[in-house]
Amino acid sequence: MSARILVALRIKAAPARVFDAFVGEIGAWWRPNPLFSFTPRSPGVLAFEGAGEGARLVERLASGKVFEIGQVRVWTPGERLVFGWRQAAFAPGMDTEVEVRFEAVGEETRVTVEHRGWETVPAEHVARHGFPNQLFLLRHGQWWTGLLQGLASHLHP
Amino acid sequence: MARTGLTSALSYRDPKAALKWLQAAFGFELVLLIEDGEGNLAHSQMTFGDSHVMVGNEWSADHASPASLGGKNTQTVHIHIDEDVDKHCERARAAGAEILAEPATQFYGDRTYRCRDPEGHIWTIGQTVQAVTREEAEAATGLKIQGWA
Repeated sequence: MSARILVALRIKAAPARVFDAFVGEIGAWWRPNPLFSFTPRSPGVLAFEGAGEGARLVERLASGKVFEIGQVRVWTPGERLVFGWRQAAFAPGMDTEVEVRFEAVGEETRVTVEHRGWETVPAEHVARHGFPNQLFLLRHGQWWTGLLQGLASHLHP
Repeated sequence: MARTGLTSALSYRDPKAALKWLQAAFGFELVLLIEDGEGNLAHSQMTFGDSHVMVGNEWSADHASPASLGGKNTQTVHIHIDEDVDKHCERARAAGAEILAEPATQFYGDRTYRCRDPEGHIWTIGQTVQAVTREEAEAATGLKIQGWA
């Protein structure tokens, strides 16, 4: 079984619009968190490069370097997105995965983020900052909730 | 979402089953779930309108589900809804709630019902169906009432 985080938020927009904003405008709504930075030189600007399976989620750093966070594994516009998620400090074998689901609820979209695979990152790894597992996952989950709120604010400024 | 001042945290022997049941019976929505490497629930929150509840396990020797206490409750959660409490009751019944008191209109103007979930937590649900003044409520009950809105 996987150590995982699940968060959800309703956003007042259609699933297709929320999906498009998630992948196409991530540089505008993403809120970096220094506790969970991808590289020592973060934050940069996030972007999905390409579309469809095999597209890449990257962070473009001020130096001009591009760090690949992960490849897109599932790309179903308006419904589902799955991509890999690695920090630069992850060793081989450490890999987490993010699944985002977009479900219509009336005139709103329920966006659910499931971030799994944290059991591959050992307790002593620098990415966990020495936090006990539950606290680490809770903090990370709260960040995801904040990110979804950022996406909602982006769609409804 | 704004945090409200009071939040109930409920203990269940099987909190993951409770998450599914509370969605099916009451329409609560899961907004946060943390699971450890064994798939055990560590923490979760569900929303209902602008409110939320936390659903957890029996995480200390002093936290127990009614299922571990012979069905005893030491507090209950009340859900206030805006419309159709009878329909709400039917949904809960269909999900397996034991209806302890069928929907009935109370002297204070709310129509309420009371039910028990699969682990024994008692829930009350109410909808305001008529405006009742303090004088009317006092006349109906013979009680002296303070703080009537």
